[in-house]
Amino acid sequence: MSQFLQIMLSGLATGSIYALVAVGFTLIWQAAETVNFAQGEFVMLPAFFVLIGLNVLGYPLWISLLFGLVLSIVVLGVMFKKLVVEPILPSGGISLIIATIALGTFLKESVKEFYGAEAEPFPPMFPTDPINVFGAVISLQDILNLVISLGVVVLLTLFLNRTRTGRCMQATAQSPEVAEILGVNVKRMILYAFLINAALAALASFLITPVYLAKFSNGETLGLIAFIAAIVGGFNQIRGALAGGLLIGVLDNLTATYVTAEYRAALPLILLIVIILLRPQGLFGTSEGRSV
Amino acid sequence: MTAPVLSIRGVSKSFGGIRAVRDVSFEVAKGEILGLIGPNGSGKSTLFNCVLGQLRPDEGDVHVNGKPVSGMRASELNKLGVGRTFQQLSVFPQMTVLDNIILAGQEHHGTMLSRLLGKPDAGLTGQAEELIAFFRLDHLREEKAGSLSYGQQKLLDAAMAFMAGPDLVLLDEPAGGVNLTMLADLRERLQTYNREHGASFVVIEHNMEFVMELSTRIIVLAEGEIIAEGAPEEIRANQSVIDAYLGS
Repeated sequence: MSQFLQIMLSGLATGSIYALVAVGFTLIWQAAETVNFAQGEFVMLPAFFVLIGLNVLGYPLWISLLFGLVLSIVVLGVMFKKLVVEPILPSGGISLIIATIALGTFLKESVKEFYGAEAEPFPPMFPTDPINVFGAVISLQDILNLVISLGVVVLLTLFLNRTRTGRCMQATAQSPEVAEILGVNVKRMILYAFLINAALAALASFLITPVYLAKFSNGETLGLIAFIAAIVGGFNQIRGALAGGLLIGVLDNLTATYVTAEYRAALPLILLIVIILLRPQGLFGTSEGRSV
Repeated sequence: MTAPVLSIRGVSKSFGGIRAVRDVSFEVAKGEILGLIGPNGSGKSTLFNCVLGQLRPDEGDVHVNGKPVSGMRASELNKLGVGRTFQQLSVFPQMTVLDNIILAGQEHHGTMLSRLLGKPDAGLTGQAEELIAFFRLDHLREEKAGSLSYGQQKLLDAAMAFMAGPDLVLLDEPAGGVNLTMLADLRERLQTYNREHGASFVVIEHNMEFVMELSTRIIVLAEGEIIAEGAPEEIRANQSVIDAYLGS
């Protein structure tokens, strides 16, 4: 029983970080009706910003994290929107999707070129000491990763549902033309979505890189799993992205422990096929509507 | 004499070699309901879009309450007191009727901080409920807009256009697809609102009976030009209008 609980908590902790990235997929889909295939690299890069703060600029950890967060919001939020999305979006969604694939490759290869191909250790934000939870031994880091990730998704949901800006972002997602006519500054709402996505990617990066180590190729797996999590949960719903991330995290751990660890990489893909066959709109998605 | 709410002077707009609107000029007075009719392709929607800033006229200018609005963003125009309804349904389907109406007015209230992080009702629930009652949608207050019938969504669309207390509302085929019972209701509500609040309307409509009974003045467009202008009964009797549009 304690082993099962341990596996569940550990899976939820990893899954909650997948959920952060998957929520970003959903936000960008709502804002620009495109899929950001550089999302995995958006999670890989902020860790390197922090390492620059630590190793090059000599900042302490918390200042380096703040530096990484701000730089991520500027580069992956503002610059991504202004330099990639805005110029290419008028050419159509497919063009933009191809551009994000190219951007992902560019970011990955740039990090490899400028920082190196070797995995770098990344300092954890929290103590990694094991603690006992109802007999299950789990690291404090996992527990705090879970609490922070879920807390951020809950805060984001509250922001979207219980503030005027959040309501305007929902209106923009459902019908940008009507929202603009009603006085909503649609351009600003779309910018907010990109800024929030960049911040979520940075947070996911800070939480998961201590486990994965900082490596230029980290985004490949993360991006794919988060993309599948968003589809499994329902691409047009934040709660769906959350559920999809948690589900994949837990199933991954359960499969590795009770079935086989050899095929764990195939699990998200199997889940994706099952969901597409049985419920193509995802667990919480709607077949037509879009809401954040 | 009071300044016109809407003034269109010498507006022309071409698409490639096609002149969709040719040197159109007219004014809309405060409290007036102007019907804009004409066959398909006569330039009505192009003219609407020139007023709403979605198209920039090649020539001429558009003023709302004395201010030039050509090229102005729709959200800025809305804050200047211009509302509109769309030919297609234009509600937010996953929000409730009440939330749709509140959203239509919230950007006109509060400070920058309250618009950023304030509660979504923006203190407008009372005003929104009055409009819901006015358009007889009380029983649907908490229903998702997407679950309403087509006619009910048209009423909601109209209510949203009035939430910001506009001086001028452009109604694009408000009667399209609405059943006869609801049509009479919609016309009566629009006339009552016009009478009580003094808002001016410009209405594009193909339903002749609806637009003739609603409007105080009619302008007829054909091939981008004004071919007739006058009271509804004058338009009904105008031979050039009958030839171009109304038929025998």
